[in-house]
Amino acid sequence: MLSKVARNAGKHLAGFRQILRQPFQVNLQARSFSTALNYHLDSPDNKPDMPWDFTDANKERVKELLSHYPSNYKQSAVIPLLDLAQQQHGGWIPVSAMNTIAKIIEVAPIRVYEVATFYSMFNRMKVGKYHLQVCGTTPCMIRGSREIEEALLKHLGVKRNEVTKDGLFSVGEMECMGSCVNAPMIAVADYSKGSEGYTYNYYEDLTPKRVIEIVEMLRRGEIPPVGTQNPDRIRSGPQGGNTTLLREPKPPPCRDLDAC
Amino acid sequence: MGLGLRAIQRSKTLFSSRLFPPPFSNSRVSPLPNSRVFSLENVQSASINAPLRCFHSRASLQNPEASAAAVSEEIPRPRTPVGGARVEFTSPEDAIEVTVDGFQVKIPKGFTVLQACEVAGVDIPRFCYHSRLSIAGNCRMCLVEVEKSPKPVASCAMPALPGMKIKTNTPVAKKAREGVMEFLLMNHPLDCPICDQGGECDLQDQSMAFGSDRGRFIDTKRSVVDKNLGPLVKTVMTRCIQCTRCVRFASEVAGVQDLGMLGRGSGEEIGTYVENLMTSELSGNVIDICPVGALTSKPFAFKARNWEMKGTESIDVTDAVGSNIRIDSRGPEVMRILPRLNEDVNEEWISDKTRFCYDGLKRQRLNDPMIRGPDGRFKPVTWRDTLAIVAEVIHQVNPEEIVGIAGLLSDAESMMAMKDLLNKLGSDNIWCEGDGLHPQADLRSGYLLNTSIAGLEKADAILLVGTQPRFEAPMVNARIRKAVRSSQAKVGYIGPPTDFNYDINHLGTGPSTLLRIAEGRHPFCGTLLSAKRPALIAGAGLFDRNDQNALLSALHTIRDLGRLVKPEWNGFNLLLLNAAQAAGLDLGLIPRPNSIHNLSSAKLVYLLGADDSKLLDKIPNDAFVVYQGHHGDKSVYRANVIFPSAAFSEKEGTYENTEGRAQRTAPAVPTVGDARDDWKILRALSEVAGVRLPYDSALALRARIRGVAPGLLRVDEREEASVISGAFSPDFCRKLGSEDFGKAVENFYMTDSITRASKIMAQCSSTLLKQK
Amino acid sequence: MASVVRAAMKAIKEKGLRNFFRELKEEGYLRCLPDGNLLQTKIHNIGATLVGVDKFGNKYYERLEDTQFGRHRWVEYGDKGCYNASQVPPEWHGWLHFITDHTGDELLMLKPKRYGVEHRENFSGEGDEYIYHSKGHSLNPGQKDWTRYQPWQPTKA
Repeated sequence: MLSKVARNAGKHLAGFRQILRQPFQVNLQARSFSTALNYHLDSPDNKPDMPWDFTDANKERVKELLSHYPSNYKQSAVIPLLDLAQQQHGGWIPVSAMNTIAKIIEVAPIRVYEVATFYSMFNRMKVGKYHLQVCGTTPCMIRGSREIEEALLKHLGVKRNEVTKDGLFSVGEMECMGSCVNAPMIAVADYSKGSEGYTYNYYEDLTPKRVIEIVEMLRRGEIPPVGTQNPDRIRSGPQGGNTTLLREPKPPPCRDLDAC
Repeated sequence: MGLGLRAIQRSKTLFSSRLFPPPFSNSRVSPLPNSRVFSLENVQSASINAPLRCFHSRASLQNPEASAAAVSEEIPRPRTPVGGARVEFTSPEDAIEVTVDGFQVKIPKGFTVLQACEVAGVDIPRFCYHSRLSIAGNCRMCLVEVEKSPKPVASCAMPALPGMKIKTNTPVAKKAREGVMEFLLMNHPLDCPICDQGGECDLQDQSMAFGSDRGRFIDTKRSVVDKNLGPLVKTVMTRCIQCTRCVRFASEVAGVQDLGMLGRGSGEEIGTYVENLMTSELSGNVIDICPVGALTSKPFAFKARNWEMKGTESIDVTDAVGSNIRIDSRGPEVMRILPRLNEDVNEEWISDKTRFCYDGLKRQRLNDPMIRGPDGRFKPVTWRDTLAIVAEVIHQVNPEEIVGIAGLLSDAESMMAMKDLLNKLGSDNIWCEGDGLHPQADLRSGYLLNTSIAGLEKADAILLVGTQPRFEAPMVNARIRKAVRSSQAKVGYIGPPTDFNYDINHLGTGPSTLLRIAEGRHPFCGTLLSAKRPALIAGAGLFDRNDQNALLSALHTIRDLGRLVKPEWNGFNLLLLNAAQAAGLDLGLIPRPNSIHNLSSAKLVYLLGADDSKLLDKIPNDAFVVYQGHHGDKSVYRANVIFPSAAFSEKEGTYENTEGRAQRTAPAVPTVGDARDDWKILRALSEVAGVRLPYDSALALRARIRGVAPGLLRVDEREEASVISGAFSPDFCRKLGSEDFGKAVENFYMTDSITRASKIMAQCSSTLLKQK
Repeated sequence: MASVVRAAMKAIKEKGLRNFFRELKEEGYLRCLPDGNLLQTKIHNIGATLVGVDKFGNKYYERLEDTQFGRHRWVEYGDKGCYNASQVPPEWHGWLHFITDHTGDELLMLKPKRYGVEHRENFSGEGDEYIYHSKGHSLNPGQKDWTRYQPWQPTKA
């Protein structure tokens, strides 16, 4: 008797849930933001009171960078220094590194935080060996970058700005990287050869299936071919070869200057 | 009667309508096309013929170009500038002329379009623009149309150019602002009913003018994590519209670089990034400048609405600056304190102590006259009994054994009454707490901030001697900071290491450095000499030292040596600590050379709100102590009789600030319990004691003050001190002590009986001072 | 006018004088004499369509032609002596205020049977139990026993 009631209730509940889910899914979908958290949360590897300094080799580089600017405009060096710190620290900048930079360029730490949070290429949380940055700007979004990201996150089993357990991958979002003609695209920051010799590799014309293949290739240590992933296209050219500009274009009409 | 009148009116209408035949009859044939022809009569008869409403058309309405021409030919009447905006021309050739809505105004070069509009009497809506902060130009609310400009122009950031034709009420400008408002409201929660800013919110007001009743945004609104800025400022960051006023205020005026703009795009937010409280003594001002409810007052949260409160314009007494404040009260309660604009004193800022001390007015109040019984317990008695007992004690002691001490918060009237009373009784042992025992009060210029608070802005070299203006007088400190920021003024400091929110040159900690400067052997002398307007500010803490005469002569030597006093410039300043000090010195509440001896042999001590523990220790055990004040603070535990009196929010009293400006408080709330005005208690006591004071009203008392210090009656005017130089002989070298200068204010948040009773101030000192 | 008299005469003939007067009273025509509002409503009602009657006896009328838009729906309250707007039940509120075109009878179907409470008019200000007196109000039975300030306690000395 009781079990019957329970089963009935369960059936109804499932029905209700079905009804409720549909309209709510649209409304409660979180708005996606390109940047990570805009405030600092203490973690074991990222605390304000941790000592951090540039290496001796990089200190020379800091001096060189500061010499590009007048001595009373030291703060102009904030972006190069943040980049240097990011390269030194495995592709991301801990808060103590920002404090060190603030001391070097003689500004309040908050002025450095402002810059570091503004630019999405400065990572303020630990990233993987391969930092996969999905373009989220309009052309890519229209061509399905959301699905690409979803596929990546599902495949790797992480959330955005989280590192996989083996420390290999992390997924972030990026603003337009200028490959709109081959949208959707991801940029992979490759720190596998040390963060100082890192490269940004673009993989374009992606599908959710292809992006997982790329991830697997990276995991195996292979280097997937960069650029468009559509075999029918050559770079940014149209699919299946050119349709215009089939022969050498005529030079622009130009006045014969020697004639007059 | 009414009927009769109406009948007469009706007959008149009939009569006149017969005189002036109506242009069209009641039949439905309307001669509208012709109505242009006889427009004037038409209007007249229509207004007379009230029941018959007709549409009349003028030629101008049918021809837009002609009407536009007609409008521009009209001479618009001059309008008054917004908020009393002042225009000062440094030289006549710097003036340029612009046209605002067809009205010509003359403005100085370098004014922005927005300022030009203000001079022309047009109020431009704005969020990010604030006249005392740098220009950000990021809210875009102040868009106006400028002729020959393809796009609307952000008027706050656009310099006005000669001959510019600015239009502020065109459809283009209106539509631009409506668009901006729609974008702002996209992410702004519509929670005005539960928002503390509701009713005084810029966004709310301006959405009345430019807001739509609906938006086109269908996505979810942004939400932002609230930040913890300390016990004073409550944050609801989701309401923030990113005007960055608070960021600019913190870094420019308050001088604490804690706040910043983090992130980008729609994820942009104001924050500190790392967990960091806002440790500024001016942090409360971000509540005022925040145009929305993102930063609100934490102690005031959900207490009252701004339209429920009565504003009383008054004066702050927690320090010697005398900031102009508005006390907002509801019924018998002070709900909050806000700054009032006074360019010469506090501009539009006030310190946190001023703003948040008000809950001290509700705690630890003395509300009944009390007498300490033989068992050592206080019991409430009537005024009649208390006065009689004190009068009896007065008659039993020798006049020389009576000592009167006025407290930090005493107004000029009560100090005058006390001085008169004690003098009539035959005692001259009367002084003001905080003056030490030998204040140099012979010359008025010796104890005032002669440069004036506003004048400090122009100083280009400042020497601070034994004073920490950041904690003694935050508003003076804000002026010094302004001078440092705008004209790179050099600041030298002699005193214990302390926090400054601008660059200083820490010259030394003790009188030996002062000596080196006075003898011209210090590099800072060169800075003083090369400066156009050098200033020296000495702290009132120097009064407490034993070598203060030598110190003062050293300071005077520096004055003469560094040429601090020039025509049109007096750079010799003393920064007082307490609201009562300047008036007390003006009125002659000055201890005599042997008064310390008198205090230790006193039989009757009359404390007019004096709570200084250093003085209390010196009172002999067998002395009879009368405490007249409003708070049960340190002194009541030593008192034999308590007279409850009114606090500054409950009485009308004259206070003189450190620059010699007399200002008057106004009663905002009724007094508590049986408390009375200070001077009235003294007047009643004089009657009971048989030495009647000759004044029965505040007016009569002020007439008496006129005889002693007429400057105190010129309210809101600064009474400058005359300059006399070379009054001291340079014999300071031998007498200077070696003891280092101390800190006059140990805890900024707790300096007097009101702030010590305040819970908020206790919270501040426990959290904010700890973080420092 | 003549037609009204004729109709009245006809009704008297059919129902008898006594019944006619009773009906006149029940329909509130007699209340029209002191109450101009009711009179106006009654005049309005001539030629209008009766859309529905709720269980309180309120009659809902509509007239689409020859009426100013926004004034084309109105209610004649069931209680002729003492009426106010809160007597309109929620299901009719929407129709009456042009929020919806569904009549109250249709909307009544949507009313939840299990927890939907019976409509009650607003009795504010009618009788002591409906009047709220704040704490400290002279009519509040509880006495004011607090001060806005906290006095210094001499016992601590």
